[in-house]
Amino acid sequence: MVAAAAVLPAAYLVIVCADDLVATMETILRARTLAMALRSIGLAVAVTATAIAIAVPVAFLTTRTTLPGARAWATLLSLPVVIPSYVGAYTYVAALGPSGMLQGILEPLGIERLPAIYGFGGAWLVLSLFTYPLVLITVRSAIVRLDPQLEEAALVASRSRREVFRTITLPQLKPAIGAGGLLVALYVLSDFGAVSLLRFQSFTREIYISFQSSFDRGETAALGLVLVALTLALVALYAGTRRQGSHYRSSPGAVRPLRPVPLGPWKWPAIGGCTLLAALALGLPLGVLLHWASKGIGDAVDWGAVGTAAWHSLLAGGLAAALAAAAAISISVLVVRHPSPVSRLLERAGYAGYALPGIVVALALVFFGTRIALPLYQTLAMLVIALAIHFLPLAIAAISAALMQVPPRLEEAARTLGRGSLASFMTVTGPLAATGVAAGAALVLLNAVKELPATLLLAPAEFETLATQVWTETTFGFYEGAAIPALALVLLAAPPLYLLSGEGAHE
Amino acid sequence: MPRARTAAILAALLAALLAGCGGDSDQSPADPDAPTGEAGITVYSGRIPPEIGPLIDLYEQRIGRDIEVRFGETAALAAQIVEEGENTPADVFFAQDAGALGAIQDQGRFERLPAATLERVPSRFRSTEGEWVGTSGRARVIAYGEDVNSDELPESVFGLTGEEWRGRVGWAPLNGSFQAFITAMRLTEGDDVARDFVEGMLANDVQPYENNIAIRDAIAAGEIDAGLINHYYVAQAKAEDPDYPVEIYFPPGDLGSMVNVAGAGVIAGSDQPQGAEAFVEFLLSREAQQFFSSSTGEYPLVDGIRADPSLVPLGEIPQPKIDLSEIDDLEGTLELLRSSGAL
Amino acid sequence: MSTTESRATGAGMYDELPEPETVLRISALSKSFGEINAVAGASLELHRGELCALIGPSGCGKTTMLRLIAGLERPDAGSIELEGALISGDGVDLAPQRRRIGMVFQDFALFPHLDVGANVAYGLGRRADERRVDEMLALVGLAGAARRPVHELSGGQQQRVAIARALAPSPKLILLDEPFSNLDAALRQQMRDEVRAIILHAGVTALFVTHDQEEALSISDRVAVIRDGRIVQLGTPEEIYSRPTDRWTAEFLGEVEVLDGEAEGSWAKCELGTVPVRDAAEGPVAVMLRPEAIALDANGPPDGRPSVVAEVVSRRYFGHDQLVEVELPSKARVRSRCLGLPAWHPGDRVRVWLDGPAAVFADGGAPARDAP
Repeated sequence: MVAAAAVLPAAYLVIVCADDLVATMETILRARTLAMALRSIGLAVAVTATAIAIAVPVAFLTTRTTLPGARAWATLLSLPVVIPSYVGAYTYVAALGPSGMLQGILEPLGIERLPAIYGFGGAWLVLSLFTYPLVLITVRSAIVRLDPQLEEAALVASRSRREVFRTITLPQLKPAIGAGGLLVALYVLSDFGAVSLLRFQSFTREIYISFQSSFDRGETAALGLVLVALTLALVALYAGTRRQGSHYRSSPGAVRPLRPVPLGPWKWPAIGGCTLLAALALGLPLGVLLHWASKGIGDAVDWGAVGTAAWHSLLAGGLAAALAAAAAISISVLVVRHPSPVSRLLERAGYAGYALPGIVVALALVFFGTRIALPLYQTLAMLVIALAIHFLPLAIAAISAALMQVPPRLEEAARTLGRGSLASFMTVTGPLAATGVAAGAALVLLNAVKELPATLLLAPAEFETLATQVWTETTFGFYEGAAIPALALVLLAAPPLYLLSGEGAHE
Repeated sequence: MPRARTAAILAALLAALLAGCGGDSDQSPADPDAPTGEAGITVYSGRIPPEIGPLIDLYEQRIGRDIEVRFGETAALAAQIVEEGENTPADVFFAQDAGALGAIQDQGRFERLPAATLERVPSRFRSTEGEWVGTSGRARVIAYGEDVNSDELPESVFGLTGEEWRGRVGWAPLNGSFQAFITAMRLTEGDDVARDFVEGMLANDVQPYENNIAIRDAIAAGEIDAGLINHYYVAQAKAEDPDYPVEIYFPPGDLGSMVNVAGAGVIAGSDQPQGAEAFVEFLLSREAQQFFSSSTGEYPLVDGIRADPSLVPLGEIPQPKIDLSEIDDLEGTLELLRSSGAL
Repeated sequence: MSTTESRATGAGMYDELPEPETVLRISALSKSFGEINAVAGASLELHRGELCALIGPSGCGKTTMLRLIAGLERPDAGSIELEGALISGDGVDLAPQRRRIGMVFQDFALFPHLDVGANVAYGLGRRADERRVDEMLALVGLAGAARRPVHELSGGQQQRVAIARALAPSPKLILLDEPFSNLDAALRQQMRDEVRAIILHAGVTALFVTHDQEEALSISDRVAVIRDGRIVQLGTPEEIYSRPTDRWTAEFLGEVEVLDGEAEGSWAKCELGTVPVRDAAEGPVAVMLRPEAIALDANGPPDGRPSVVAEVVSRRYFGHDQLVEVELPSKARVRSRCLGLPAWHPGDRVRVWLDGPAAVFADGGAPARDAP
């Protein structure tokens, strides 16, 4: 049931393409299609590698070291996840563009032109900065669940910290890094707003051109199918990181918190690095937003409308997060505990929902919603279902990684003690995987609150969210007005991220 | 205890779920009017609240009933109407550009409008099939900044391929109005001329932007000196700030400032065709036309309503003989833009 | 106290009935994983209140047996009955949580998110009450530890909690998977005795898996030897140690010496004397002796039993005893385990004779010494 819902977007594309197979093949086999796909893959690889390179050290610093204010750093450095990448891109263009704020500051110093923010470099930078939290959140929650005894054993065997990290910790974290990296790669494939603003020709932009300019649903769907195929390939790649053995804790007994690694002389470089990252990924966009907001604040801001929109965002996002987490648990249990070709295929097809541009997912749900669930169409329930389907892979990634770290032995113990499989799960596996479940739900929540295309098409009429407010204002060119709901999005995201980052942070 | 904290998160989510169920029942009969017998109409609007909000309010006051408006991107809403098929809740589609109206017409999803409604607008600003009608017009102009002397400006857009404009001009190749402009150029001047223009612009280091507004703002910021945009975006900015440093110029030569339209049509199978027609009719009323003229700075299309006197009068802008909503013509334009590398 | 009462009635029934009551009956149980036949037609019966060891080398299917009994795996064939009721086989496959079989896992599998008391109370479900938890903790010698987090406990303490947790819901049978393998040597010795005492005190029937023969022999009432997925012998520790059914079992359970012999009906003759044969045979046989069944002295047996002269080849001294290797007149070499004194030296001439039970294998006792 759950899995069937998750493959709706892909099913829609197949149905539309089946209308005209010749045209579909023509579209898919165009040289331009291939060229654009390669460009997108190139960007996805670069951004994913960068996101991992940023996120893994930060995850380690904020969980396993004496970094002062680890929890605050973890929250702060996760926050960029909630900044819609197109807003992020706007702020970057505003700050670093050819006539941006930085240029304005530097001009008197005789600097005529900054290195171009446009093109591959800009897209790479901006997407990396706004997607690395996806890796950070999944990896942090995995580190917290690691079996410290393995590391202790290695340390006792007088291996250096670095070697232990490389030979013991890192391999154990592979599934989480893989899961986070996959999410980043899929996000990059699906992103339209940021790449378009930064003038990088990507595959998704191609989908938008066909959809927006030629109103050709067949061509749009054919390109969408190519994206689904790319997704399946990526997911298969990720499955490779998971297959290398199981990742349960091996030793008996319970998790004892590991003693944090003293940073010593590295304390200042670590703080410096975190500060730089926070400045780039959070400080700069927030600074620009605040600058705009301060200009707009003079005009009457309709705080009531912002408040209502915030509540709507939270409501739809929260419900979608709960629904997606519940669905992801059942799929993850299926995949992790009862692997079969069918369960694996369902899981993978579900990822397509995340790799497809929001508009395609939204149209798929319009298609099915009006045909099989008309009473729900354009109600809150429909929006919640759409958001849950769109972001389900985020929850699956986090939750299945968490489940993989809970030894099945514990569930068996519960069953020999008279608990059914559901009760065993609820009392043992569930609580032990809770950090992963919470991370998954939070990822869905944080993405759902900023989601735009599906919200516009499927929400109840006149159901304004913060994201639709940002959209309305930017469409109108009124950045001052857009800044306030965008800032509200960040504020909204802070509490759940703070709660989440409390796990494993050494105070 | 960390477990307690995650439990708190889960509990909060659950609480939201329960609260949501309650909230859902408040909102889900999405129709406040349902008990009174006749529901209000539903409008899918590609024009956003700041552009038409007051107009909707006025109409609701006028008919004494709420209407439901779904705002979104014009192209997305058009696709949505197609996907919804027979079950669409939409009664009226109010689109930002003629291409989207043509897409709906192609799919046979529009109802024919009454002749009386259609005839209020000159024939070049409405569907040849009589399925949609233009509600306001926007001219393609050259916007320019403070660094440009008005005598520098070329006779027509073809002048922008000249060396003196290298790197100084912006355009928005993804924009529907821009694409319609190129279509008009192909149909009136020929494919080769259009291709030469596009390639000449690219060779001249034209700067691509997301949309008209981005071009306007880039000119204001001094990033570029001129750009191809719809005329009324500048008027909107000047309404906010009278000193806004961008002016518009209607090139008199060749293609001139082709006029594009926003328009509306009644969705086929609407359960309230009369209400829907009445709304479209209202968009052509004196109040509405004056609203478009004064508030958004567009051209009113109904005879007898005067446009902003600072604009070149509508009648003086040469208009190519093309059907603005002909999708097939657009295909050739996309092909041209793609193969030349503009898209 | 319910536990002592049940123990008492159990003992009473034991007195009255000549046949002990069967709690668990396993018939022709099989389970394979792909190509590997982990359990291949195993049959076993457990009596009420007994502690039975399931012993076999690594990979012989012992753990799979336990998991089949617990219901954590589904058998391919065969049946399992618990207290006369079919719980597996014949289309029946009762879920583990409905079998009322407790299990102590090798790694204890304590729930890390629950404290000691909550771990013990876990299996009680809604019937959980503090008295029962305290009673169980007292039984395992951890009174007052209910509020402690499990990761603070030592290995031995964790094991006690695991046992208390398994016993708390009063299971009909308790299974222990290599219960002592995660403990260090000294603790293992102590825990063996404690666990036996706890289980006897609780009056529960218990089956535990081990690969350590000393463990199996020292604390169980009966021992089941498992090899290649089947039970090859079931008996008291004394029976299986001194009268193994085949040479492999003999060697698996301890040191053996083998001499060639000649059977004549119920008796077999070897170099050290005549021994009884379980199944009458004729012709050449292998006679298997434990080193402690081979006596040695300078003067020969005091009761005048037959003995042979031999020469000491080597000696290993263990304090309370010594292992002396001698060469018999036939040039065959055997080892004798005898008291630590006197100290023999290579070259000493001694007399050697039979002083204990022997097993005789007509087929040469196949499989041979290097079997698993």
